[in-house]
Amino acid sequence: MREQVITRDVVANPKSVYGDKKASTRQFITQRVSGAINIAFLLLLLFVVVRLAGQDRPDMVAVIGNGWIGLPLAVLLVIVTIHMRNGLRDTLEDYFHGRTYSLYMMLNTMFCIAIAAVGVISILKLVFWG
Amino acid sequence: MVELMVSKADRPIKGKTWPKPANGKRLREYHIYRYDPDQSANPRIDSYFVDLDDCGPMVLDGLLWIKNKVDATLTLRRSCREGICGSCSMNINGLNTLACTKGMDDSKGPIKIYPLPHMPVVKDLVPDLTMFYAQHRAIEPWLKTTSPTPEKEWTQTVPQRAKLDGLYECILCACCSTSCPSYWWNGEKYLGPAALLQAYRWLIDSRDETTQERLDDLEDPFKLFRCHTIMNCAKACPKGLNPAKAIAEIKKMMVERQAA
Repeated sequence: MREQVITRDVVANPKSVYGDKKASTRQFITQRVSGAINIAFLLLLLFVVVRLAGQDRPDMVAVIGNGWIGLPLAVLLVIVTIHMRNGLRDTLEDYFHGRTYSLYMMLNTMFCIAIAAVGVISILKLVFWG
Repeated sequence: MVELMVSKADRPIKGKTWPKPANGKRLREYHIYRYDPDQSANPRIDSYFVDLDDCGPMVLDGLLWIKNKVDATLTLRRSCREGICGSCSMNINGLNTLACTKGMDDSKGPIKIYPLPHMPVVKDLVPDLTMFYAQHRAIEPWLKTTSPTPEKEWTQTVPQRAKLDGLYECILCACCSTSCPSYWWNGEKYLGPAALLQAYRWLIDSRDETTQERLDDLEDPFKLFRCHTIMNCAKACPKGLNPAKAIAEIKKMMVERQAA
């Protein structure tokens, strides 16, 4: 797919479309909601960072292995990766178009899924198996 | 296409320093961007000296003094000289504003004047606003109704009319759109703060009956959602309007529509 040629008539036409219309509002909502949740979880993240400062591995396992800390941390990780994917989508849309954009967007999605999966599995392992 | 640096051919070079006026006691230095696309030369920055005792207090007065008495080839737009028409918008000392309402005494040192940023230049301080006006056309800035036209006029209450305050005053000077980094990057697809401010003005007009259709047309990752709330538009607006707030209200309408 070639990059769209944008003339004055295209710009002036109210029906012109440059991206996924229906997804745009949904992505905006997802971005804002995930951003707000990230802020709400900031205290938890700060607590974990401060609590683990200067600690060794058994202490880390004890803190993250606590279900009240580990499970919210896993949820936070998923939300952060959703937010990350959305944020990078904006950047990719600015720089790439057509098939190149689709390819990079797919890599972005796979990268975010991989980060979330590895992180969540690691935390769950600590919570349930120590 | 991504442009990370200004090409060598587009970089302004030091231009001519015009002679100081004879017998001028109170002088103000102007550094002005000069460019003529018909000549294959780099843009240049010319220096002029304005006699403050022979000239009005505004930056536009100085520019017209230069054009009338020093260099008639200096090209700029101007019309009303009182902040109503929006013709003399330009970048003065790094801020997009109207030359007619910007006082020379607002700053010290040489007054640096460039055309509005990131727009094609027709000549000197005159930018090509073709796409800017096309974007304004795209939001259909007129009353759209489906009901039969009333015999006299479309009426609205005082509170309904009050909602348009802070929106209708836009003079389309393009100071806001050309100060927006998102507009610099996606100047064709993103409608920009000026057009979106007007879009909101028609969206909340109680007499307009095509709100959903208007929202349908605006729903696009580039047209609307390229606004990242940078707020340069609100800072630059010489009329004191807040396009960023209007855009946020449109986004809110989109979200409410999605949630409904």
